[in-house]
Amino acid sequence: MGKTTYMRLKGSQNLRQRLLLSTLSSTPIIIEDIRPDDTWPGVRPHEVSLLRLIEKICDDCVVEINETGTKLKYKPGIVMGGRQLVHDCGVSRSIGYFLEPLIVLGLFGKKPLSIRLKGITNDSKDPCIDTFRSTTLPMLKRFGVPPEGLELKIESRGAPPHGGGEVVLSIPILQNSLTAVTWIDEGMVKRIRGVTFSTRVSVQFENTMLHAARGIFNRLLPDVHIFTDHRAGPQAGKSPGYGISLVAETTSGCFISADTAVSYARGEEEGEIEDEKEELMPPEDIGEQIASVLLGEIEQGGVVDSTHQGLLFLLCALCPQDVSKVRVGKLSPYGIETLRHIRDFLGVKFVIKPDPSTETVILKCVGCGLKNLSRKIS
Amino acid sequence: VERTILRPSTNLMQLVYGNSASKSTTSINEVQGNTEDEESEDEDFFKPKGEGKKKLGDGLDGGNFNADDCSKFTNHANLRNWKSEELIQSIRDRFITGDWSKAARRGQVSGADNE
Repeated sequence: MGKTTYMRLKGSQNLRQRLLLSTLSSTPIIIEDIRPDDTWPGVRPHEVSLLRLIEKICDDCVVEINETGTKLKYKPGIVMGGRQLVHDCGVSRSIGYFLEPLIVLGLFGKKPLSIRLKGITNDSKDPCIDTFRSTTLPMLKRFGVPPEGLELKIESRGAPPHGGGEVVLSIPILQNSLTAVTWIDEGMVKRIRGVTFSTRVSVQFENTMLHAARGIFNRLLPDVHIFTDHRAGPQAGKSPGYGISLVAETTSGCFISADTAVSYARGEEEGEIEDEKEELMPPEDIGEQIASVLLGEIEQGGVVDSTHQGLLFLLCALCPQDVSKVRVGKLSPYGIETLRHIRDFLGVKFVIKPDPSTETVILKCVGCGLKNLSRKIS
Repeated sequence: VERTILRPSTNLMQLVYGNSASKSTTSINEVQGNTEDEESEDEDFFKPKGEGKKKLGDGLDGGNFNADDCSKFTNHANLRNWKSEELIQSIRDRFITGDWSKAARRGQVSGADNE
């Protein structure tokens, strides 16, 4: 065996993209200086959990972490996929954190992936599970992902800090590769859909959120429908919480989303156990806030919302060697980081041009021509 | 805050990829940051915890290597009051209840610009 050359990186930033791109491009990586100055240095529980998850669905991948957790060595293997897998995501980040890289990784597997993920389904930091269903999965279909076998089921919900939610994700494999897109027409918003949830609190919280959100949209659009999803008993997880996920659907088939959830803080984070029962944001404010965030996203323009920019660029870059052209609103910091990592790992550089008349940004790239190699090796 | 920096968008390519051909992961910023850290190690040892949070804003320049890995970018503090009639009017044409011809032009004009 020849000596492996590693790409050297620093810090814990964008770990998910680094691992994902490393795997897809078969580039081994070494990451140093992972939070060396923190009170608790090194990798966090959710990062370890993510690595375990990758090990679960890949063959022959090697993960080495040093004693202090500040250095990580990752040698990617072959994405195998597989059925009836189970993974406990822990409670330091929500399931959304894991789903973002997983839905892309799964596409390039040998076998279709179906996995049960346990943990937090809704929180304010990562996209909620409902947003994945309403916005993220339809986005994959744009790029030629077969709709059969693309599914995300919510078996039970879990809010922070204790989680207790369970979802089942199914991802089909690509028979060959993705399809390049020209996607610059945002269209007009024709309807707004959404879903509220509540666990271990009164269903009245949902009605209040829903009415507050509707109130904001009233003067713009009649076609607003927000569903409720009240959970009780074992389906409600272990912690009280409530939240809302909204999606605006346009005439050209774009989905613009906004979501959040509220619950009591994770106690372990700051070590403050005493005043645990702080005030939660009232449901009325949550409804209005997320409705406003959604309108902000619509105003900004683009075929996806700011949260989905990273995924959009990634999918464009993974396409065959055709030109993809997409429109986004203002570039988000995460989107920019994604662009940089795509260049470093895949060698794909986007042409980025502002479009002054609409204050949006047009990005063009030629895909790196990634094929689903795992499938053929058999 | 970051969004307002992007607004002038004179050269987005430069903003994203930087001036030189060097990788963002080995930029000059990083080297400087490191040597500083080593020199003032004692002070860093007693650094108040809150300071870590201040750095978050630097994520855009690749200055913070341990920035939170999070795709969501919502600035709740800067939310505008969408109950005001003026704001509502400003995005009316982005909805099917608004002016269809304006919305259609939005897609076309810019498309032609870029060909």
